[in-house]
Amino acid sequence: MLIKREFETVEMPINVGPQHPSTHGVLRLVMTLDGEQIVKVDPVIGYLHRAVEKLSENLRYQNIPHLFDRLDYVSAFNNEWPLAMAQERLLGLEVPPRGEYLRVILCELNRIASHFLFFGAFGHDAGTATSWMYGFRERERIQRLFEMVSGYRMMHDFIVPGGVREDVPEEFVPALRALLPVLWQGLGDCNNLLTENEVLVTRTRDIGVITGEEAINYGLSGPSLRASGVREDLRLTEPYSVYPDLDFDIVLGQHGDSYDRYWVRMQEVAQSLRIVEQALDRLPGGLVCTPGLPKYPKLLKLPVGETYARAENPRGEFGVYLISTGGDRPYRLKIRAPSFCNLMALPYLMEGHYLADAIMILGSLDVVMGEVDR
Amino acid sequence: MGLLVTLAIVTLQIVLLFCVVMLIVLALVWLERKVLGRIHQRMGPMRVGPHGTLQSLADGIKLLLKEDLAPRGAERLAFLLAPLLVFAPSFLVFVAIPFTRDIVVRNLDLGLVYFVAVSSLSTVGMVLAGWSSSNKYALIGAARTAAQLISYEIPLVLVVLSVAMLGGTLDLRGLVESQGQAGPYVLWQPLGALIFMMAALAEVFRPPFDIPVAESEVLGGPMIEYSGMRWGLFFMAEYGNAFAFSALFVLLFLGGWQGPLLPPFLWFLLKTSAMILVFFWMRAAMPRLRIDQLMGFAWEVLLPFAFLNLFLTGVVQLYGWPLWSLGLLSVTGLLALGYVVERGRVTWRRSPSLAS
Amino acid sequence: MATFPFAGVLKSLWVTLRTAVRKPVTVQYPTVRVPYAPRMRGFPALIWDDAVGEHFCTGCQVCARYCPTNAIFVTMKNNPLNQAGQSPRRKIVNQFYLDYGRCIQCKICVDVCNFDAIEMSHETEFSEWDKRALVFDVRDLLHMEEHANPRTKQVVTRR
Repeated sequence: MLIKREFETVEMPINVGPQHPSTHGVLRLVMTLDGEQIVKVDPVIGYLHRAVEKLSENLRYQNIPHLFDRLDYVSAFNNEWPLAMAQERLLGLEVPPRGEYLRVILCELNRIASHFLFFGAFGHDAGTATSWMYGFRERERIQRLFEMVSGYRMMHDFIVPGGVREDVPEEFVPALRALLPVLWQGLGDCNNLLTENEVLVTRTRDIGVITGEEAINYGLSGPSLRASGVREDLRLTEPYSVYPDLDFDIVLGQHGDSYDRYWVRMQEVAQSLRIVEQALDRLPGGLVCTPGLPKYPKLLKLPVGETYARAENPRGEFGVYLISTGGDRPYRLKIRAPSFCNLMALPYLMEGHYLADAIMILGSLDVVMGEVDR
Repeated sequence: MGLLVTLAIVTLQIVLLFCVVMLIVLALVWLERKVLGRIHQRMGPMRVGPHGTLQSLADGIKLLLKEDLAPRGAERLAFLLAPLLVFAPSFLVFVAIPFTRDIVVRNLDLGLVYFVAVSSLSTVGMVLAGWSSSNKYALIGAARTAAQLISYEIPLVLVVLSVAMLGGTLDLRGLVESQGQAGPYVLWQPLGALIFMMAALAEVFRPPFDIPVAESEVLGGPMIEYSGMRWGLFFMAEYGNAFAFSALFVLLFLGGWQGPLLPPFLWFLLKTSAMILVFFWMRAAMPRLRIDQLMGFAWEVLLPFAFLNLFLTGVVQLYGWPLWSLGLLSVTGLLALGYVVERGRVTWRRSPSLAS
Repeated sequence: MATFPFAGVLKSLWVTLRTAVRKPVTVQYPTVRVPYAPRMRGFPALIWDDAVGEHFCTGCQVCARYCPTNAIFVTMKNNPLNQAGQSPRRKIVNQFYLDYGRCIQCKICVDVCNFDAIEMSHETEFSEWDKRALVFDVRDLLHMEEHANPRTKQVVTRR
C-alpha cells in the first residue's frame, strides 16, 4: 500500500550568477528550482561582450587577428584560421603547402590543448581537483611549444591570409616530436583518471540527453553534435586545407548524453595526435606564405565581395562572414561562434534535471564565454 | 577546596585537549595540501616556513584578522551559534579516544556510543548555519547535509555494533585490547571495514560524499556566508572529524596502538596517518556523487549489507564458529556488494526529466 | 569498459598514486625561472647604435600609426649629429612614450619599423602602484636593464 501525500512546495528562484566557480566564464543562469529539480532555466549572456565585430569595422585587416585571438581564448589558432580563409577567398590566394601543413599542425595542437582544458574543467566540476591539474599540465607543455613558434602562449596572431606569419624555428620540429609521446602518456593518465571511473559515469550517464535530430535543430556543432551520433565534422564533410590527405576518424557517440560528450572529446585528442604525427611526417619545405602580399606598413586591401568561411573549432563550427567594400577595413565582419549556438540548447538540456546535473551539463557543452559574448 | 582543585584540573585538561586538537588540525591541513599537491604532480605550499609547514598557522592568523560579516537577513543568534555547534562535537569526541592504553582523557564505559552520538550532533549546527544565513545556496546545502548525515548514520551504527559484538564491550580501550588476542578486526570483518570507511567519509563530508559542501556547485553549502574565524571553525571541525573517524577506524579495525617494536603512541599515529592518507587519496581521485545517488547508495546498498554484516557476526558468535569463518563470510559479502554496485550502475539513479 | 566491479575507481586510484611519486612539474618562480624561447614577446625596447652613439630610432612615427592600442607617442627633431657630419640620420627621435599599460605585445611596431630601432625584449615584470608610472619614456626604453630583474637580463639594447 502506497501512502501518497501531497506536499505543498514552493518553487525557488535561484541565481547561478556570473560569479560562480562552475560557469566557465561569466554566464548567468536564472533557475527556478523545485527542491533540487530544475523547472525553468534562463541563460543570461553578455557579461563578456567586447564589441569585437564592431571594433573590427574600424581596424585594418592586419590588426584584426589580435581581436580574434581573444574570442575563443582557449584555442586561439583556430580562430585566426577562418578569418584568414575568408580573406584568402576574396583575394583568390593559394596557400603554399608548407603553410597549410603548419596551420594544420598548430591548429590541431591547439585543439588538443583546448580539450585538455575541457578535461580539467569537467573533472573539476565533477569534484576532482586532480583532473584540473592533469589537464593543465599537458596544456602547459603545448603552450611552451607555442611560445617557441609565435612568441606567445595564448594570443598568437600568427595565421595570416596567405599562410603563416613566419617559419617555425628549427628547434620546433624536434621539440614537437619529443613532445608527442609525452602527450600520449598524458592522455592515458587523463583517461585512467576519469573515463572509466564509475562515479563519473554515474554522474553523467543519461544526463542531458539530446538526440541527433534535436541537436541539429538546435544548431549544435562540433563534439557536442557528434556525441549524439550525427556524422558531421567539417574536416571530413567539407574538407579544407590538407585534411583530405590526412588519415583520421570521426568519433561518434551513441547516447547523446554528457558522458558521450566527454568521451568524444577525449577520443578526439587521440585523433588529433594522429593528425599531428602524420602532418609532421609530411611537412614539406618551401615558403610558408604566399609571396607578394603587402606587409605592414603597406596595407592589405581586399576587393569588393562577401564570403563565409568556416572551420572546425574544438567547440564546433566557427564561421566568419566577411563583407568587403574595397579598402583596408571590412565593412562587416560577422562571427558565427559555436559556443553561442551550443548554449541555445541549454534550457532544453537542463530542464527536469537536478541542480548538480545542470553543472555537469554545462561543463559537458564546453562553452567559452569569450566567443559566446564576443 | 577539593572542588576548586578538581575544577582547575578539568580546565587544564580541556585546554590541553584543545591545544592538541588544534595542533592536529593544523598538521592535517598542511599534510592535505602537500599530499594533494604531490598527487597533482606539484609541490603544495613551499614558502611559509620550511616546505610550507607554517602555512596553516599563517592561514589561521589571517582568518582571525578578517572582517566579521553577517548577511543582512540572517538570524543573528542562530548565525553566531551555528559554527560553535558544528565545532563542539568534533572537539568533544576526542575526550573518549584512547591514543594508547594510558593516554586518554577519560575512558568511558560507553565510549563507542558516546562517540557516535556526539559526532552526530554536528548535523544540528550545519542545518542551523544553512537556515540562518539568508542564502538559497546555503539552504540547499543544509538540506543536503541533513539528509546525508542521517542516511549514513545508520550503516555506521550497525557496523560499529557488529564490532562491539565481536569485542564484547562498548569501551574503546577494551575493544582494542580484545583485538590483541583475536587479531585486528579488519581481517575478520572486511565488509564491515569497507562500510565503515564509506560511512565515515560521508559523515565527515569528504569526497566523494562532499556534495553538501561542494565548492563547485553550492559554493560551500552552509558555510557560504561565514567569513574569518567562524568559517575557520567549520574548517577545523571538518579536519577534526576526519582525524576522529580515522582514529575510530584504527581503534575498531586495525588494532589501535598495538604492534611490535615501536612504542604504542607511534603505532597509533602511524596507523591513523595511513587512514588519513587514504582519505586524502580518495579526495584526489574520485568525483562527487549527486545527493540522491549518495542517499540511494546509503539506503539501498550500505544499509542491507550492514545488516548482513551484523547478521553474520551474530550467527558466528551464536554457534561459536571460529573467527576465520567470519572472515570468509565477510569476504563473500564484499564480493556481493561489488556485484550489486556494478549491476545497479546500469539502471541507477537516472535523473527525472520533465520531457519523459 | 569495466571488467570487474570498481575497476574504474581502482584505475583512478592507481593513476593518482603513480603520479604522486613523480617529480613535481612546479617551477618555483621567482627563485627559479623557465628559460624563455627566443621569440618570446616581452615589452618593446629601443636600440642604441653604438657605432654612431645615438638611437636607431628616427622618430618616423610608423609604429605609432600601426599600433592597435595607440600606446606609442613619438616626435622627431633634427639630428645635431647629422649636421655635424657624424651620423647618416637626418632626423632623430625627440620624445618617445610607450604606455605599457596599453601595450598588448603584438610586435606590430617591431614589424613595421624601417630602421630596426625597436625590439621585443624578454621583460614582462613591471609592477607599479600608479598606472601613470607605466608610461615609459625614451630613456627608460633604452635602459630596460634598470627595470629588469637582475637575474634575467635578456634585453637587447646595444648593437
